[in-house]
Amino acid sequence: MKDILMGNDAIALALIHAGVDMVSGYPGTPSSEILGNFQKYKTKFGVEAYAQWATNEKVGFEVAYAGAIAGKKTCATMKQVGLNVASDALMSASYIGLKGAMLLISADDPGFHSSQTEQDSRSFAKFAKIPVLDPATPAEAYNMVKLGIKISEKFETIVMLRPVMRVCHAREICDVDDKLDFKPNTGEFKRDIPRFAAVPPAGRFRQGLEQFERLELIKEFNWSEFIKPQIKNLNKSKILCLTSGTGHGYVKECVGEMNIKADILKFDMPYPLPKEKIEALFEHYEKVIVFEETYPCIEEQLSSPKLYGKLNGTVHKIDEFSKDKVLNAFVNAKVVESSDNYKNAKYDKELPVRPPNLCPGCPHRDIYYSIMKVFKKKKSIYPSDIGCYTLGLNQGAIDTVLCMGGAVSMASGFSIADPNKTVVATLGDSTFMHSGVSPLINAVYQNHKFILLIMDNSTTAMTGRQTTPQRSNPGTIDIKKLVEGCGVECHEYIYEPNLDKTISFLKMLQKKYEEATGPVVAVMREFCILDKERSSAMLPRIYAKVDEDKCVACDICTTQYKCPPMHYNENHKIEIDPFLCVGCSACIDDLCPTGAFEKVEESVK
Amino acid sequence: MKYQVVIAGIGGQGAVFLVKVLSIAASLNDQKCLGTENHGMSQRGGQVSCYVKVGDFYSPAIDQGQADLLIALEGNEALRNIQYLKRDGGTIIVNADENFPKTEYETIKIDAFSKAKNREFPIQALNVYMLGVTLARDSHFPFSQENIEEAIRVMNPKVAEQNIGVLHLAIKDAKGIV
Ligand code: SF4
Ligand code: SF4
Repeated sequence: MKDILMGNDAIALALIHAGVDMVSGYPGTPSSEILGNFQKYKTKFGVEAYAQWATNEKVGFEVAYAGAIAGKKTCATMKQVGLNVASDALMSASYIGLKGAMLLISADDPGFHSSQTEQDSRSFAKFAKIPVLDPATPAEAYNMVKLGIKISEKFETIVMLRPVMRVCHAREICDVDDKLDFKPNTGEFKRDIPRFAAVPPAGRFRQGLEQFERLELIKEFNWSEFIKPQIKNLNKSKILCLTSGTGHGYVKECVGEMNIKADILKFDMPYPLPKEKIEALFEHYEKVIVFEETYPCIEEQLSSPKLYGKLNGTVHKIDEFSKDKVLNAFVNAKVVESSDNYKNAKYDKELPVRPPNLCPGCPHRDIYYSIMKVFKKKKSIYPSDIGCYTLGLNQGAIDTVLCMGGAVSMASGFSIADPNKTVVATLGDSTFMHSGVSPLINAVYQNHKFILLIMDNSTTAMTGRQTTPQRSNPGTIDIKKLVEGCGVECHEYIYEPNLDKTISFLKMLQKKYEEATGPVVAVMREFCILDKERSSAMLPRIYAKVDEDKCVACDICTTQYKCPPMHYNENHKIEIDPFLCVGCSACIDDLCPTGAFEKVEESVK
Repeated sequence: MKYQVVIAGIGGQGAVFLVKVLSIAASLNDQKCLGTENHGMSQRGGQVSCYVKVGDFYSPAIDQGQADLLIALEGNEALRNIQYLKRDGGTIIVNADENFPKTEYETIKIDAFSKAKNREFPIQALNVYMLGVTLARDSHFPFSQENIEEAIRVMNPKVAEQNIGVLHLAIKDAKGIV
């Protein structure tokens, strides 16, 4: 059956078709829709399966892994930086192996579209000694999920699937199974203490040896299953391109469009590679160029004087591929003359930029605006964290962004290193649950003095509004109780679109801070504009406009508050874009010093 | 046949919806199709661009100098993406008023914002409106009106008739502009 699917949708459907019935993960762009779509299919097909968001990637991985050692077919989903969090468990699990099957999906983001690093999960798979499959398109991802589960079962190892953003968020017409033949697999944990609780050194040493043996078998499989069938296409020219995943698509198009004489060998499983057999294929060629995103994972497994790639500067080292970059590599390797085929002039005048910004009406904007009013820049340090609220950068209210939960521990560090400044840290509810609790306990027991605002909008907003633990368990799991459980009072602010009120609350915290000996913590109860379930009740739908006669073009609204609808018109007066304004009313009363903001009587919406 | 389309706009205007409609239309025609979207960290109000490649392609991304058509839901976003157009023969379909600058590309501009402000169609349907303009004015566009209407129905039957109404309005409006 043909179906048009987004990569993450194709992956979810393939999981069901492969009989996976335990999926656990943590959202992160570009991986987030996989679990959500799996939940959708699960309901649609009425199948019995576990599919839940975990509090963080390590937890998600461990839940799925336990399922797999108990004999089930499972999957853990995350983005590449999430794999860092799960890596402690992965490294050990790779020694132990499993009984059922487990696919670890780690989605990469070449080009840093929405990630703080460009790390290559394939290289992580190599580090952890597990096989990795690298799809080039959604249709391939569909097939590779099913294959990955089979490989995992066959070799009793975790298998990684590494889709990049251009696979996760691409759409393609995919050929998918017509029939669903889904049998939930009954798990049964069979006690095997020497395996599942192997004690170092002897127990782990033995497993380490088994791991090497397993890899040799997988290399053989890689050769016969993926590489050998392509040999008939080789030896037709003097140049060989080695590709993997999306790198393949760019190379194939560029070679075709530019009439470059080159053979292409695609590695569906870029690790582990049967090195000697592959190198033997080089004999006929003058040059072998490796095209892969983003680390030299394939390149580092091979050695030959004919090899060209990232390591000798032929291929770019950072950023996403483009056909222009592929062409450049051919030019660098002296295969073709340089050409401007993939270049064209940009518009030559300056265009107004649209820096990433919080949505119109987002309550986070009010909090950051108020922080800047109360805690002056010269006397403060503002560590923040990963989430929509990172965009508070626009308002100057963020000094550091490191990693999930980093705001809390960095607040501790800053309070020790630069005690004359007030440290005002911000992080979201989901991030707090993910990895903000242990650093808060650390701060409480060591009396680190700082202010922590937990900006609770009850959803994981940036990745598409996945449910959070407290949202699905109202009353049972609550941030206030959690903070109190860490040993510190938790102040609470119920957000209203009223800047004066928000500022007063922060002034109150400032007082508390002056008297405090440890952290001062507050939970800010907000909502996300895009979260219709809650925002429809909370948005007043009072839209703003500006009285041109009163506007003195002081810039306060466009530099300190920065709601996207606010812009200068041709008369150099502020105007509100009626299509962008969501009617939160926050700017109307207290923002403008001349009172130029007014209510719109009749909205265009 | 190969046809590459860049769709540009601001987050929330529904550029991604157009990718879906065009991919469905391609599949109804039994054509190969790859699409992708680029958006930064903002959920609303940021720059968004999407690519649709109809025909024999292997990678969803579009390089500079390659696109046959640029559909822009807003003027500045059109200008921000013009380098993706083919140096000869690229077409721009843009929602912009008379201040939109002259470029070297064939340009069809229509001030859809004013029409939405006049309540001629709901702003939420800006994407469909611009698709209608494209149908009426891009003679190389690889999809017919019937084709697009069917794709809109397949995508969401509930709101299809309303969207098709906007499509018809746009086609009528677009035939009138020079
Ligand atoms: S998605 Fe929600 S939390 Fe994120 S910026 Fe928009 S309104 Fe704010
Ligand atoms: S009312 Fe003001 S603050 Fe709220 S969305 Fe509209 S312009 Fe932005």
